[in-house]
Amino acid sequence: MPAIKIDQDKIKEAVQTIVDLGGDGIRNCVQCGACSAVCPGVKAGFPVLCRLLIRKILNGQLEETIEEVSTWGCQSCNRCTEVCPQGVRPQEVVFAYRRYQAGELAMSASAFGPQMSLYETGHAVTTDATAANREKVGLNPVPPTALQNKAAQKEIQTLLDESPMADLGIF
Amino acid sequence: MHKYGLYLGCNIPFKAPDIEQSMRKVFPALGIEPVDLQGATCCPAWGTAPSFDLDTWLAISSRNIILGEDKGVDVMTGCNSCFGVLSEAKHMMDHKPGKKDTVNKRLASIGRTYTGTSKVYHVAHVLHDIIGTEAIASHVKYSLKGLKIAVQPGCHILWPTDVMEVKEENPFFPTQLVELCQALGAEVVDYSRLSDCCGMGAMRSTDQEKSFELLKRKFDSIKEEADPDMIVTTCSSCYLQMDGAQKTFRERGLIDYEIPVFYYTQLLALAMGFDPKEVAAISKTSRDAIIAEICNDNRKVQEEVQ
Repeated sequence: MPAIKIDQDKIKEAVQTIVDLGGDGIRNCVQCGACSAVCPGVKAGFPVLCRLLIRKILNGQLEETIEEVSTWGCQSCNRCTEVCPQGVRPQEVVFAYRRYQAGELAMSASAFGPQMSLYETGHAVTTDATAANREKVGLNPVPPTALQNKAAQKEIQTLLDESPMADLGIF
Repeated sequence: MHKYGLYLGCNIPFKAPDIEQSMRKVFPALGIEPVDLQGATCCPAWGTAPSFDLDTWLAISSRNIILGEDKGVDVMTGCNSCFGVLSEAKHMMDHKPGKKDTVNKRLASIGRTYTGTSKVYHVAHVLHDIIGTEAIASHVKYSLKGLKIAVQPGCHILWPTDVMEVKEENPFFPTQLVELCQALGAEVVDYSRLSDCCGMGAMRSTDQEKSFELLKRKFDSIKEEADPDMIVTTCSSCYLQMDGAQKTFRERGLIDYEIPVFYYTQLLALAMGFDPKEVAAISKTSRDAIIAEICNDNRKVQEEVQ
């Protein structure tokens, strides 16, 4: 494996990118590995999560890691945040990295459906069986949510249309 | 009667409305009026707006919390993921300098303003901390004495404790769901992988086999160490995963057993005497036998004669 070339400008840019996207605790990381020790994603076999993802960013390897899908296997469970002795909030770093990837459309293919559904119905998850399921258990077939509430859907569409997400063409 | 805004999320009202119905039955009977938050949306789930843009996430989460603020009620949700997303969003809105102003500028386009007056609770917190296990025990009509339960608290109700309104004393050894199950008369059995993840969510969407390997290890721990009559959870995602995946595992020859899975309020509703056809009617792993066992006349609690 080739040695990593230390490039201070590249490191500075990588860290600042993650800080700007919401991972401001990354500067506190001392690579103790407490986060990875409790991470279900690491346990399941996603290699570049928590400590190693943070190491790569701190090495300035932002672009080199962009196709890595480990970040999309993060369960957002926040065990890492609970145990981190340095206040890094590793999940926020993972999500900041996801936002960097998403901005380049480098994401798991499974991520597209929920965005479209959120935009169209106000819900990431829907099912055609909703009305039948609800009537079966004695509930109104139409839930009191945004599912068939045009005004609520319009509010969500307005928020999404005015967000950076609109520029990605995912809905 | 004290009111809470019932935030349903997506999974419960669409895929498991018998869980919703169980909540609508048990809360009024326990002195809490669930109020519908009309037009509530996805929290938004971790894989949607939070993965793309921080302020869009906060705007959508804030809008959902505002629905509670407008009615003057705190928000309670039965979905762990929604609880985690909404709690984190509220914590950022209330504590991150300048964030509330930034997000309120976005919310102005839909004529809404976040103020921060409504707290975010999980249904389990309202049951455990507000109603209390003694009050729950006093409403039990069918005792679960002699039945063994393995609990599954789920991830997002436990961590990180610094953003939660109500929390466990030690989130790696949670006791609230244990006490809620014991209030029904049941025995709660230990197993070593209690705090392990069920594998639902982003992991399952990204790599189903990795998700299933994690869950299989958890199931093995539950079956071999505890051999319970049922698994009980207060997470709708854990419920869907643990109930549905057993069918797949059996078809693949990975397991040769069935463990019925309940969301806690479903079990509570059965113990309180509500109709199983309304409160526990939809599952992939059969619950018929254990429901018949619970709703048995022999289990009726005798009222004390004054």
